Amino acid sequence: MSAVLGIVTIVLVTAGAVLFLAGTLGLLRFPDTLSRLHAISKADNLGLGLIVLGLLPQAASVTGGLKLICVWLLAQLSAATASQLLGRAVYRGRREP
Amino acid sequence: MTGAAAADDLPLTALLGRGLCLLLLWVVMIGPAPADLPFGLVASAAGVWASTRLWPGGGTLSLSGIVRFTLRFLAQSVVAGLDVARRAFAGEPDLRPGFATCRSTIPVGLALDSACAVMSLQPGKLPVSAEADGTLHIHCLDLREAIGAQVAADEAAFRRILGPEPRHG
Repeated sequence: MSAVLGIVTIVLVTAGAVLFLAGTLGLLRFPDTLSRLHAISKADNLGLGLIVLGLLPQAASVTGGLKLICVWLLAQLSAATASQLLGRAVYRGRREP
Repeated sequence: MTGAAAADDLPLTALLGRGLCLLLLWVVMIGPAPADLPFGLVASAAGVWASTRLWPGGGTLSLSGIVRFTLRFLAQSVVAGLDVARRAFAGEPDLRPGFATCRSTIPVGLALDSACAVMSLQPGKLPVSAEADGTLHIHCLDLREAIGAQVAADEAAFRRILGPEPRHG
């Protein structure tokens, strides 16, 4: 059973790392600031979610698992808020002469 | 609405409920050591004070709406991440970025700001401006997609969590 859980962890954490790589590639390759914001907010959030999901079977206690989920939720909240603020600032800067 | 006025609008039970939830979050994140609890109590009290400004009373939330919204949000988050990854890994990034404008049906204020924050984690869209009449300016990764239909679906899902009475932030 622990071997299966270990494989699940490896697969999910690897997939999460690939998503982080995709977000970084998007940051480097997408053509403008707002498009880059899409990359780092959306790909990184899914990547972090997969890593948290992969680490849950390895959590030492229920509290440890809850802490992982809380970290993911807070990261979602901060990513949504930060991308909103940055997006609005960039958009305002474009409209103002 | 000032923070003090907002706090007056909220019943004591609602404030205590918020404080308890925040203290629970503190305990989960930091641990239940008695030496840490005074800091948790202070942080929770500060959180309740902030919440009276950020989330004043006067609206209801639908539990079934929250569950349905959460399930859809998680599925859409997966689609959004995979969509960005596909475009980033393509030989030539598969993008047609630009702006779309649409009129939101969400009440302007806290509810619309929250909907915009949620929408920024959904596939291909990043709201960058919300005007007083509810007009949204959205940056899109690909203007070839049906942006209007996607926004309508996102808003319909969000409205379900607001409960029977529309919230006015």
